[in-house]
Amino acid sequence: MKKNILVSLIKIFNKEPQFNEQSNAKIIYLKERDITGHYDQNLATFKSIFSIPKNTDVKIREFTIRALKRRAFILYIGTMVDSEKVQQSILRPLIENERPTGKIQDIISFPVEKTTTNIGDIINNITSGITALFIDGDRQCYIFETTQVQGRSIEKSDNEVIVRGAKESFNERLADNIGLIRKKIKNENLIVEGLVVTKRSRNDILLVYEKDLVNDELLQKIKDRIHMIDADSVIDLSILEQYLEERPRSLFPTILNTERPDRAVSFIEEGHIILLMSNSPNCLVLPATFWALFHSPEDHYLRTPYGNFIRILRFIALFISVFASSFYIAITNYHVGMIPPDLLMAFAGTRERVPFPSIIEILMMELAFELIREAGLRVPSPIGPTIGIVGALILGQAAVQANVISPIVIIVIALSGLSSFIISDVSMNFAIRISRFLFIFAAGFMGIYGLAALVVSGLFYLVSLKSFEVPYFAPMTPRFFSAKDLIIRHVPIKERFRPGYLKPKDMVKQRGDSN
Amino acid sequence: MQKTKIVCEILLIFILVSTLTGCWDREELEDRAYVIGIGLDRSKAKGKIKVTMLLANPEVGSMQGGGGSIEKPREIISFDANDFVTAKVTANAIISRKISYDLLKIMVASEDLARQPLFYNLINDAAYDKEIRMNVFLAVSEEKASKYFLKNRPKMETRPHKYFQYMIDHGIENGLIPDSTLFRFFKTTERGTDLFLTMNTTATRKKDTKMKGEDEYYAGQVNATGEFDDTQFIGSAVFKNGVMIGKLTGQETSIANTLDDTTNISDFLADIPNPFPGKRKSFAIRVMKREHNKVKMDLKGPRPKIFITLPLEFEFKSNPSMVDFSKKKNQAIIKKEIARHFKEQFEGLLKKTQKQYRGAPYPLSFDARKYFGTIQEYERFNWNKSFLKADIYVKPDVEIVDYGSLTKKAGN
Amino acid sequence: MMKQQPGKLGIREYVSITVLMVGSKASEDTPSLLSIQVQNAAWMIPILSAGLFFIPLFLLIKTISLFHEKDLFSVIEKLFGKYIGFFVCLVIFAISSFGISVDSRTYTNIIRAYYFNTTPVLVLYGLFMAVCAYGAKRGIRNVGSVSYLLIFYTLLSLFIALLLCTRESNIQAIMPIWGPGKWEVLKGSLKNLSLYADFFLLTMLVPYLRSSKEFRRGTWIAYIFTIILTSAATIVFVCMFDQSLGGIGYPFHSAIRYISLGSYIPNLEIIFFVIWIMGAFIRFTAFLYISALMFGHLFKIKDFEYLIPPLAAVYLLIGAIPETPIDVSLEWKSIVRMTAGPVFTAISLIIWLAALLKGEFKHAENKNSM
Repeated sequence: MKKNILVSLIKIFNKEPQFNEQSNAKIIYLKERDITGHYDQNLATFKSIFSIPKNTDVKIREFTIRALKRRAFILYIGTMVDSEKVQQSILRPLIENERPTGKIQDIISFPVEKTTTNIGDIINNITSGITALFIDGDRQCYIFETTQVQGRSIEKSDNEVIVRGAKESFNERLADNIGLIRKKIKNENLIVEGLVVTKRSRNDILLVYEKDLVNDELLQKIKDRIHMIDADSVIDLSILEQYLEERPRSLFPTILNTERPDRAVSFIEEGHIILLMSNSPNCLVLPATFWALFHSPEDHYLRTPYGNFIRILRFIALFISVFASSFYIAITNYHVGMIPPDLLMAFAGTRERVPFPSIIEILMMELAFELIREAGLRVPSPIGPTIGIVGALILGQAAVQANVISPIVIIVIALSGLSSFIISDVSMNFAIRISRFLFIFAAGFMGIYGLAALVVSGLFYLVSLKSFEVPYFAPMTPRFFSAKDLIIRHVPIKERFRPGYLKPKDMVKQRGDSN
Repeated sequence: MQKTKIVCEILLIFILVSTLTGCWDREELEDRAYVIGIGLDRSKAKGKIKVTMLLANPEVGSMQGGGGSIEKPREIISFDANDFVTAKVTANAIISRKISYDLLKIMVASEDLARQPLFYNLINDAAYDKEIRMNVFLAVSEEKASKYFLKNRPKMETRPHKYFQYMIDHGIENGLIPDSTLFRFFKTTERGTDLFLTMNTTATRKKDTKMKGEDEYYAGQVNATGEFDDTQFIGSAVFKNGVMIGKLTGQETSIANTLDDTTNISDFLADIPNPFPGKRKSFAIRVMKREHNKVKMDLKGPRPKIFITLPLEFEFKSNPSMVDFSKKKNQAIIKKEIARHFKEQFEGLLKKTQKQYRGAPYPLSFDARKYFGTIQEYERFNWNKSFLKADIYVKPDVEIVDYGSLTKKAGN
Repeated sequence: MMKQQPGKLGIREYVSITVLMVGSKASEDTPSLLSIQVQNAAWMIPILSAGLFFIPLFLLIKTISLFHEKDLFSVIEKLFGKYIGFFVCLVIFAISSFGISVDSRTYTNIIRAYYFNTTPVLVLYGLFMAVCAYGAKRGIRNVGSVSYLLIFYTLLSLFIALLLCTRESNIQAIMPIWGPGKWEVLKGSLKNLSLYADFFLLTMLVPYLRSSKEFRRGTWIAYIFTIILTSAATIVFVCMFDQSLGGIGYPFHSAIRYISLGSYIPNLEIIFFVIWIMGAFIRFTAFLYISALMFGHLFKIKDFEYLIPPLAAVYLLIGAIPETPIDVSLEWKSIVRMTAGPVFTAISLIIWLAALLKGEFKHAENKNSM
């Protein structure tokens, strides 16, 4: 109730600005109409729609089909089609074929994609690289799949590096990405459903899921959420991610963003839904839990003991990177008795000539570390590694020698910084790096008590997070049936169930006795 | 937007508060002066005590490589105060940093003070200062504690905390000194039924000491020559109801420690008389305790009877008469000799403390408790009085685990 | 803003909340208060009290399970009518509120006495209540989840702490076995029925569990668990401190300050403290939620979760009244201790009697046979 008053108050003071926008009612009206049989009228319509000749790469070619003895024109965007193909398989047969026949399909060797009549539909097709053929007196438009967009080929995964397992990663071309998934799941139940998110730039996304696994309610929920997006343009999947998230301001991610097709496939097989988008070299996995973000595909490729070893290592790294510096602050500022006497003497001895309080010291070094890290990323690649070494060595060494920083702090920061790299997911990594600062402040404010208070509050917050109605820590708590692949994973033979929180149509992954 | 802004503002306030507050409990660790040892003496002023503080200098010995300082590793101050808790404030008139008892390792009381009836009351202040931990060791020095710290100049461990840590830990391990933490001191005194042994130390070397057995020394009597620190930790001071009443030698202390199941003395070396013919008069053996004592008591009669069985393991460290222990007969002889010797030792100590100090040197009263159903019955029995009349029988249960290398007779 | 779905509490989460709520009593001043009453037989009290409290609790749960997924207050109002029911509920609410204030103050006292000597009580207390209020506002399901995440570590650390304590203790300290005498021990356990009073309050959570069968199972599991926990902890403290136990305010904290892992890690109380304080947060979060639930039920407020912050503030103010820790421990706490146990026991029995007289049991039987 109180909140409502507050919101309305805020609304009074911050009114939505009004703009005088130009009406585009005419074009919308045009788009809903069908094409006519009149050659000239069609030509004029499309010339005006595509602003020819102002638009240089939209090509119109007028000619006569000899076999039919009719005038015709083809329309395509020169930069998006394979012009060799257009020339060889569409234009030449149409112009050169002399045998009288009534059907376009018989003349052209290029497969006809489909025929359509709606102007809006035709426009959509042309803008995505299709060649359209208009024939005088024909009320239909023939559409040929001639798209050829320039792009990267399939390369190695850069951001999610693993030692064992498939190396290929998604690229910017949607067809390639689908191919990468299809070749791993050879099943007719794999559905690739297309959706268009925005009206203006018509960014299309693909939902990939297995029909006989995915929970229909979940699928519908995701579709509804996508339809709720009311934006002119969403140019990248990572932006779409932010539109889809329940709490976009939250520190912690609730959607998994990966560039590895093998990872995507493993989620599809469990009943998750994958979102792909053209021009984005990654995919979204919905819904995602803490565990999905915490795990790495390598955990499963390695043999069970090794996989668990790196899991535990990562778990420890998580704790070190979050708590190392704040714990240092807490015990050196508040709970001195905790430190073994030798260490305490060493701390006190080295800190004696440092002019700053230890919390400032830690903050300075944390900031320096983040700077080095960010600079190392942005610096052109040939000098990248040098920056890291220069930054870490020179800065640390010099700071210690100048008595600005005590050497212990360097150790603490280096340890926590190093550990933070072990969390491979970019969003999770950020979440941990930022929350580290919060913990430092909490420890500086009230020592270990402040730290514990923040940890508990953080846990309350985390468990209340939801990704498409799936609790963040499911299936650990609240408990669901699952493969029990949480901190420790079992041998693959024992992983018998799909995660229960997805309510998949088929719960059991592998039947048979689990010996 | 609005929400993000509010969150940011709150965060900003939080950050400012957290970095700027220097009050409450926050204290940078280099702003403190760490007291390693406290010495307590009688003061000339009435109602006061003389407090000595041994402070460690963190700058010395903590730096690897360059940057070390020429400062002294320690600072010692003595002054009169009401008690050692408020002495912290007084000390700040001399010491530049805030006095902290966080690293306190040892409290040394002079024998003179320890024999005063108010001693327990004085030490009890430690329970109220949360900086003082209950695992601080209590020791009694023969000389004045202020002098003790001044005279104590370790040659190898110049850093005081390290010195006391090593000295005490190894002393307890060898059984030469008792494990006399404040915790045990308070517990024993509050129970009021047993004697409490406190480690005895001194930094003055006695001149006129006779040669004795392996460790039948009081502190200061170990006759060593060479270049070393004069401080010795050996033997113990006996406390009854929180007041010192006597002393035990190193050997007596290790016997008491062996009897005591609540300390974990690992093993110690001892001499036993050589029952075989030969020039050297004693065997060196390593004594280990297998498990807890088995104590049986007969508390019904006018003279209670106490039977203690000690499961002991022995390992030979020397064989002065070159005896062939593969022979059963020799084994039997040495076993019997060990049993006899230790029975004598244990019973001797218990009788001595029973007569002289009127109590058991370790929590023997615990073993009596199980013979009573309720506390009232136990109190009616009155352990303190009954123990004085008790007959104590000790039976070492000897098991020899290693006879050493089986030497053959020379010439064979 | 998405509205949080209330969600149901799983049995694991419920048991964890319960164990943390009741079991944490072993880590505050309860063992030493027990020791003042019955000296070295203190460890028997948790077992005997549990035995005595079993009867009313059993009857209460039996009665409540007659009414399909109704909480305690609904049942009381149904059985006693509107006015008497309201009054009874009000009494329960008042006692539990007072209990929360006093108990939370006890925790603040511990924090201040052992770890933050110079920080004002109000700051420590305020932070404590703020965290609890935040947690409680997230809903009982999330409280359950967090407690399930933490329970393992809490119990593990308690176990390790107790194990390390046994190195310093002497089992013979529990002799003479009957302490001050059998009759005294029995009297002591009657006086300490309030040890398990939390189970009475937890019946407010029945509708939040998936089924009343799960509630019953969870309650009994937690009941047995807490008996063992409290009793074992008390035994260890008795053996460790012997006759000094009564004089030590908070034995758990004194103990963790004493134990060590060799001479190189001499002090590890902070590790135990962190885990302990996390458990304490959970405990009062659950308490706060339950009492907001009661308040909402009493005054027919549907969105009772909005009541949590103001309630927390009120408890904070009440808890801040006593000036010194001794006031809290000896005066205020003994009031709660004296009233909560007998009153809750009496109410449980009366509820059962009322149900019996009104023929609810027969009614239910008929229903079943049909």
